[in-house]
Order: sequence, then C-alpha cells, then structure tokens
Amino acid sequence: MAEVHVIGQIVGATGFSESSLFCKWGVHTGGRHGKLLSGVREGQTQVDTPQIGTGLLSHPIDLHFATKGLQGWPRLHFQVWSQDSFGRCQLAGYGFCHVPSSPGTHQLDCPTWRPLGSWREQLARAFVGGGPQLLHGDAIYSGADRYRLHTAAGGTVHLDLGLLLRHFDRYGVEC
Amino acid sequence: MAETVWNTDTGEAVYRSRDPVRNLRLRVHLQRITSSNFLHYQPAAQDGKDLIDLATFRPHPTASGHRPDEDEEEELVIGWQEKLFSQFEVDLYQNEAACQSPLDQQYRQDILKLEDSGRRKNRRIFTYTDCDRFTNLEEHCRKMTTAKEVPSFLVERMANVRRRRQDRRGMEGGILKSRIVNWEPSEDFIKSQHVINTPLQTMYIMADLGPYGKLGYKNYEHVLCTLKVDSNGVITVKPDFTGLKGPYRIETEGEKQELWKYTVDNVSSLAQPEEEEREQRVFKDLYGRHKEYLSSLVGTDFEMTVPGALRLFVNGEVVSAQGYEYDNLYVHFFVELPTTNWSSPEAQQLSGITQTCATKSLGMDKVAYFSYPFSFEASFLHEDESAEALPKWPVLYCEVLSLDFWQRYRVEGYGAVVLPATPGSHTLTVPTWRPMELGTVAELRRFFIGGSLELEDLSYVRVPGTFKGERLSRFGLRTETTGSVTFRLHCLQQSRAFHGVQCSPEKDAEWLDRLGGFSQQSSIHNVLEAFRRARRRMQEARESLPQDLGSPSGTMVS
Repeated sequence: MAEVHVIGQIVGATGFSESSLFCKWGVHTGGRHGKLLSGVREGQTQVDTPQIGTGLLSHPIDLHFATKGLQGWPRLHFQVWSQDSFGRCQLAGYGFCHVPSSPGTHQLDCPTWRPLGSWREQLARAFVGGGPQLLHGDAIYSGADRYRLHTAAGGTVHLDLGLLLRHFDRYGVEC
Repeated sequence: MAETVWNTDTGEAVYRSRDPVRNLRLRVHLQRITSSNFLHYQPAAQDGKDLIDLATFRPHPTASGHRPDEDEEEELVIGWQEKLFSQFEVDLYQNEAACQSPLDQQYRQDILKLEDSGRRKNRRIFTYTDCDRFTNLEEHCRKMTTAKEVPSFLVERMANVRRRRQDRRGMEGGILKSRIVNWEPSEDFIKSQHVINTPLQTMYIMADLGPYGKLGYKNYEHVLCTLKVDSNGVITVKPDFTGLKGPYRIETEGEKQELWKYTVDNVSSLAQPEEEEREQRVFKDLYGRHKEYLSSLVGTDFEMTVPGALRLFVNGEVVSAQGYEYDNLYVHFFVELPTTNWSSPEAQQLSGITQTCATKSLGMDKVAYFSYPFSFEASFLHEDESAEALPKWPVLYCEVLSLDFWQRYRVEGYGAVVLPATPGSHTLTVPTWRPMELGTVAELRRFFIGGSLELEDLSYVRVPGTFKGERLSRFGLRTETTGSVTFRLHCLQQSRAFHGVQCSPEKDAEWLDRLGGFSQQSSIHNVLEAFRRARRRMQEARESLPQDLGSPSGTMVS
C-alpha cells in the first residue's frame, strides 16, 4: 500500500469574461485501487467579486489517498460558475487536471471550456444568460465522448498543490 | 574583588508542555546584596548554595521574630496560581471594611487562619494570581513608552481576552455552523473575534523589597517573574528560568539604593521513567492500531511488475492548441509504441479525439482549450539480450483539424514528440506543420470549399512505418509552419530495478543506465530460472530410478 497526500489550494480563476466567479470542485479516482482515506472529496468555494484584477478563491484542498496500484491516479475537476446581480448562476467553464505524480509543490494552470450550443442559444446567453450545461459531469474528467461536444475556450483556474508520497519507492516506482 | 556574573537577559522565554499546568512548580530565591555586604559578597556558586541549603532546612520563625540576616534572603517553592499574601495584603484584609468582593472575603478568611496558626511561609516573596486586581490593572495600565499613553482600542480588546475565557466555549462552533457570515455582529462577537483568541492565565511572582521592618508598602513591590499559560499548553516566562545562568538583579530606587539578586528555577517534579514508558507505549499502540486500520481499508499489497520489465504510466492531458489560422479546432492524437520490446495491456486507449473548441484570443494568439484527459500504461521488456541497439521510446503523434460552418474539416497541422524518458511532470509544446500547395487557387479552395492536402500515413511526420532504406528524403514536400499543441504529461515508471531506490534529485541517472541495470537483473532471473529447471530435472530423474538405487540406506542393507 502506498499513500499520497495532496495538500494545496484553489488559488483563483483568471481570463473569464464574467466576474463574480465561484468554483465547484471534486476529485475522481479511477480504478479499483485507489481509496480516499481522509479529506473532503468535493467542495464549493465562495463567490468572489474582485474590484480590481483577478478573483481569488483560496479554497483549501487536503486529501489523503491510499493505493494498491498506479492505475486511476486522482484527477481534480472543476466547474466554474458566475453569479450575476440577480443571483442567477451561469456556467463559465469546465476544467480538469491530473494530480501531479512527483512529490513537491506544483503550480498548475487548468484551462477550461464550456459547451457552445446552437447560435440561438449563444445569442440568448449573450443577452439573457444561461446557456447549455453538461448532462453528465463525468465528461469533464473522461475523454470518452468528448468528440460530440462543440465548446468555447474559457478562462483558467490556478492551483497550488503540494504532494507527499509514501512507500512508492518501496515498490520500485519512480515519480 | 571578583566580578559578579549577572544575567542581564530579561526577555521572555516560551515553553510548551502537554502535561497539566497545575504540576508546574517554581523555586524563587531572593537575596539582598546591600552596599555593605556587597564588599564581602563571594560570587562563588558553592557559597551561595550553602546559604540556600541552610535557609531551606532552617525552620521558619514566626512573622514577629525574624532576625535581620533572615530578612536578607528568602527561598520559596511556588505552585501554579498559588496565592501567597504580601504584608500589605495581610494588613489590608484584616480590616473587614476593606473587603468588598467575595474574593476579598475569601482572602480575609485565609489570612485570619494563617495568622492564627502562625505559619506564613513567605515574607518578601508573594504572588498575584489570575483573579487578583493587580493582574487586570497591570495589563490595562502598563506603559511601553515615557509618553502619556492612552490605551488604544486594541489594548482594551486584548485586555479582554483573558477575562473572556469562561464565556467563550459555547460560541465557538455554533455560529460557524449555522451561518458563515455574521451580518449583525454583536458587541461580544466583536470582542471575541477581532483579536487573538487564545485565552491566557497569568500569574505574577512579586517581591516586597522594602527596608527591614518596613514591609507592606506598595511602592516597594517589584515584579520578579511573569508567567502566562494559554489553553494550548504554551508557557511564557519572563524572565526565563535562571538555570545555569547567573542570577537576575534588581536595584531599588530612592536615596538608599539597594541591590537585590534573585533566581527563578523550574522544579516541577518529573514523571517517573516507568510512567513515561507507559505513555510512550500507549502512543505506539495507538499509532500501530491506526496503521492497521488503514491497511485493513486498502490492503498491504501493491501491484508489481514482472522482473526485468519497466512499466511506464502516463497521465496526460491535451491542454491547448494555439496559433492556428482557422477557428473551431480539434486534436486527434495517438501514441505509437515501438514494435520491438514494448507492449501494452489490452483495453488501453492509446488514441483520442478532443472536442471541437472555438478559440479565444490571448495576446497575439488565438487559443483553444481542451483539458482532455488520457492515461495509459505500457511496459518495456528487454527480451533480446544480444541486441545492442538503443531502446526506442514511445512517440506521441498529433493532428490538428479545424471544422467550418458546414461541418467540413481541414487539416491545420501535424506534429510528433517522443514521450519524456524521465519520470515527473512535463509540459510539452509540439510545433506543427501542414502540407501546402503553391498558388492562390489552393488557398481560395481551402477557404471556400474546405479540404486540403492530407498525409495518408500519420507516421510520415517522423520516420514512416513502411520505411526500410537508410536515408529518408522528404524532398518535394512543401509545408507551412502552423501553430502548436500543448500537452501536459505526468510520467511514472515502475521497475524492480528501482526497488528501494529513494526518490532524490540525483535519481535521473541516464535511463540507459537503468535499462542496463534491469537487463542485468533479468539475466540473474534467467540464471535462477535455469537452476530451477535443472533441479526439477534432477528430481524427476531421481524419482524415475528404482527404489533401492534411489535411497542410499537401501544399498547399505542389500
């Protein structure tokens, strides 16, 4: 059994055309090997309305995994939403990143995308808000049915992650 | 006259203890060095120690009849929050009119009892505990400079920290859980939240340094030592325990300046060795149980590779594509494993197609974001020991295409990159090119009708799979530089050759060395295997022999 600690934070999000962003995040471990021993598997940040510059979220992530194999390395996935002045929430982007496999601190930039929809829906989104969303969230962190989608590039989510690995050297894993 | 070693460092010291603070014991030793006996004062440590011993063993005389030389020196062992009354307090509380609060009444009772029994153990040294008025006043009215200071907002708040400790407990969780933001903060809420939140308990060890026979005047009171303990077991002592350092000194003010020296020592009784051992055993037991629990959740084994093989795990991501001419891009990519020595388990997705992404402008470039995940494993088994050729590494090919309004696609670029041979995180930017035709007609066709020249075989980007010759020539192929695709790869390598190798910066020795390493290991494995085969053959041969020949005892008998 080898163990992985992921300690870090969602620093913020930049490059979105909307302001007042918040971020829902989750972690996905594929395969039958990994198990989350402690920590919260998913969460949601506060809504940040920056007056100048970029939104800062500073949302903590603290996870402890144990694994029996190397398949199904944990993945983080994000849904960035924006809240308008009427309190309505609208999707700003889906993003994902693999948790790095080498120990140490990592600064990650995760680009995001959102479904585009037909031109009618695009027009409606520009004026009224709303817009299409994914029916199943697993498309964020799996590549299986991605080719069906037509998307637009969104902003970037910034992460600071620190990784601690334990006992991987015992099993001959170089990371 | 020898120089006296004074300890002039009166800064505070911080200690941390997990044990209950009521076990704290201090020994305070106070001695007057008047100008007259300063001349005779011997700084040697033995001398002072003798005096201490004498003072400790000598029975304390009653308050009325102490002699002057006893007045010069005093030593006491004080517990945490132990109240020792000063002469001033003794005089004050004997007067019933002075007692206002219940605490005062309590003190009066204690003092009367002490006076009756005649066993007051202190004369000059006394204490102010956490409940005393002095402690509050001291914190409120302390001045840091010579200026006329008015306590600021923060000072008042901080003074409240100590007093708040009783009513604090209930508030901690309740507010946080029910609502995150308190829109109408109350006075108490502000008090408790705007300043540091650890409640402190304070105790002062004081000395009455009045001249002989004139004890009990407030002006002669001096602070010897301040102790603060918070709920986390942090003990702050100012000044630090004397220990091996020299004693501290106090000079009294006034026309008759007198010099006093004092030491403060920690004499808390230590835990017995067996108790400590038991505590450690309990902790060890606890951690052991926790470890067992964790391994019962997951299991203790780990997937291993076959000996001599190198397993390569890649967690990858198609991050973005930038710098292309047209909008609505998608990327088609695949990983090619070299034909020799490499294998991949079934059900491995070695190729993928991303979604179609409309670009956005970022600086000078138009960029499309994909965040497309892929992960695969492959294993390298060096079977042919004789071949000296360098092992080939897997290659990642990609093809960028754009989709137009009529759902027709055109090729935007081709690229390829060899996967990194070192484990860790890598960001690869693959530059791409596309074949082009000369002339405006071709460009017009590409714009209006779509479709363009394509490679028939994607492996032509590097060395084509069908290529057999010695020199590869691409003369005649016209290409145009287009944008680039960014991949992020997290690589893991697993092999028995790395077994027990620490993850260290020096780990990335050339992978050729490693491959050499585990080819060696595989040869050892082969030798072992051959030995096992030979042994099996021998056993079979022995079994097939006649019984009497087979057993040596049988031959002896016959």
